[in-house]
Amino acid sequence: MAMKYLDKYPKNLAKSGWVLKPLVTVLRLFAKTATRKPVTVLYPYEKEWIPDNYRGRPGLRFDKCVGCGMCVRMCPTACIKLVEVADDDGKMVMRPQVNLGRCAMCGYCAEYCPVDAMTVTPEYELAEYTRFDLIYGPRRLHYEGTTEGMEVKLEVTLPSDIENGNPERRVSLFDLDRPELIDNKCIGCKKCAKVCPVDAIEMVEKGVNDKGRPILRPIIDNGKCISCKNCVLDCPKDALVIKEVL
Amino acid sequence: MQYSSIHEWITFTDLMSNPYVPFDTYNLPFDIGYRLWEILGGLIAWLVNLIWPGNPISIWLVDEQVLVLFGLILFMVIIFLVAFVVCLLVLWMERKVMGRMMDRRGTMIGLKGFMQCVGDGFKTFMKENTIPTKVDKMTYIWCVSLIVGLSCLVACMIPLSYRWYVVDYDSGLLIIMAFFALAPFLILVSGWAQNNKYSLIGGMRAAELMISYEVPMLIIIATVSLMAGSFNIGDIIYFQNEHLWNIVPMCIGAVVFFACAVAEAERVPFDIAEAEAELVEGWQTEYAGMKWGLIMLGDYLRGTVSCGMFTILFLGGWTLPFIGDASQWAYLPIPELVFLLKNFLVFFFMILTRCALARVRTDQILNIGWKVFMPLAVVNLMIVVLLKDGGVF
Repeated sequence: MAMKYLDKYPKNLAKSGWVLKPLVTVLRLFAKTATRKPVTVLYPYEKEWIPDNYRGRPGLRFDKCVGCGMCVRMCPTACIKLVEVADDDGKMVMRPQVNLGRCAMCGYCAEYCPVDAMTVTPEYELAEYTRFDLIYGPRRLHYEGTTEGMEVKLEVTLPSDIENGNPERRVSLFDLDRPELIDNKCIGCKKCAKVCPVDAIEMVEKGVNDKGRPILRPIIDNGKCISCKNCVLDCPKDALVIKEVL
Repeated sequence: MQYSSIHEWITFTDLMSNPYVPFDTYNLPFDIGYRLWEILGGLIAWLVNLIWPGNPISIWLVDEQVLVLFGLILFMVIIFLVAFVVCLLVLWMERKVMGRMMDRRGTMIGLKGFMQCVGDGFKTFMKENTIPTKVDKMTYIWCVSLIVGLSCLVACMIPLSYRWYVVDYDSGLLIIMAFFALAPFLILVSGWAQNNKYSLIGGMRAAELMISYEVPMLIIIATVSLMAGSFNIGDIIYFQNEHLWNIVPMCIGAVVFFACAVAEAERVPFDIAEAEAELVEGWQTEYAGMKWGLIMLGDYLRGTVSCGMFTILFLGGWTLPFIGDASQWAYLPIPELVFLLKNFLVFFFMILTRCALARVRTDQILNIGWKVFMPLAVVNLMIVVLLKDGGVF
């Protein structure tokens, strides 16, 4: 009976350490933790370390934004919406508004912004009392102290990648793609010139048609164009397409 | 009206010249209480005498016998307060040290986390006093008061030094152990009274735990008193101071006694009566609010008593090698602090076992108690008998 009971225990108690082994382990851990700081971070009082260009909530530089709507189209969770607000001169302009309840903090809006108005910010404490409070208007999106890394250029995958000697860059599509006109489809409706956020499209008269009316055709200033595709999307006859032109 | 100076009422006479003092030797807490009442009672007597000169109450308040009476009341308050503060310190130490052993911070509220104990006490005090309808009300309430009261009594009876004691008598060790061993009976009774399966199982387990550790523990206590030739705590400690701390010749006994002391305080490797992982809260399941808080306080008081017993029996109590009891610097509280520091050291090892070891099963505790501890205690007794017989001590 006694042997049956003892069989449950390891054969050589001294070798296996039995009770002493856990005691020594805990004592060693205590000696280690008593001399250095514990791993626990007192979160609300002590902030965690934030890496460079941390992708927190999106930020907006109001004056730089042209209201092209690129971020609205790129957002994978469809949390960005263009709203009409008054700018500093009192003129009504279109600017993005972000619903942070839906935002996935992916930073695509900052990456694809052609004028670097959309940025990422290191802010991550976004708790609010109501869902309504989570909707950030264009003015509220403003963030002081935007650095260059927060602009998240499209050609740069990761800033740390370049620091570590991996300078291979993507080619920005804003450098390659431009809208191109298919002449026989165009009806000269001037819609593209109206929607262009940077006024890169100018309507030019090119002779007269059979009825004696002037033929209007858009001429795109490639230096001004930011390839936001607004003209391509709004063209009623699909006369404008995006092509690699440069 | 005749004005009498306050110095006529507050006269710091020598304590031992008072024939009614119940202590044979100098007693520090009684001295503090006596002086405190001399100031307080003398002030009251002086004020009353200013209004009604020559009244009997004033004279009664500073009478020699009355001074001793109120001095004893204050003496009890001081003794309890010190035991209580030591208990809180031990609680705080457990939380902080256990936190570090688990690589976290422990409590963080005020004074490096010490105020958390006070906050917890206040919180339990503010709770509603609920009594379940189907319990045996009388037993239910009396058991908790008796458990807490016994724990407080034992904690107050532990002497901190040759001058910090309640009663200095020749069977001190036996009396303390007798009161110490009373609580598990009350745990069984209260587990029965609560009309709850978890409580009943917890109470039964407490009784089972007790029959397994109490016998080797008492054998070791008998061994220690055999070594010192006395049951008087002072004699045991001065014997160790003269020869050698008991932990050296009786190292086996020290380990066994430590395990038994952990079981006596119902701490983690042997906390099968209050196994919160298996039996909701064991025998405390139906106790809520202040009653539960008091039981927790009693638990930690018993923990400090366990540490105190280990210090007295094996670590030489309030003495240090080469210094002794530091009676040449009697104005400094060295012996008291030495005793408390040794207490905390033992408690540190209790926390260590709590962090390192898992709870034993109910059948394992019986096996350990009777098949491991008991033979080891007897071996220890044989070693001591051989040492005594061979004339080493």
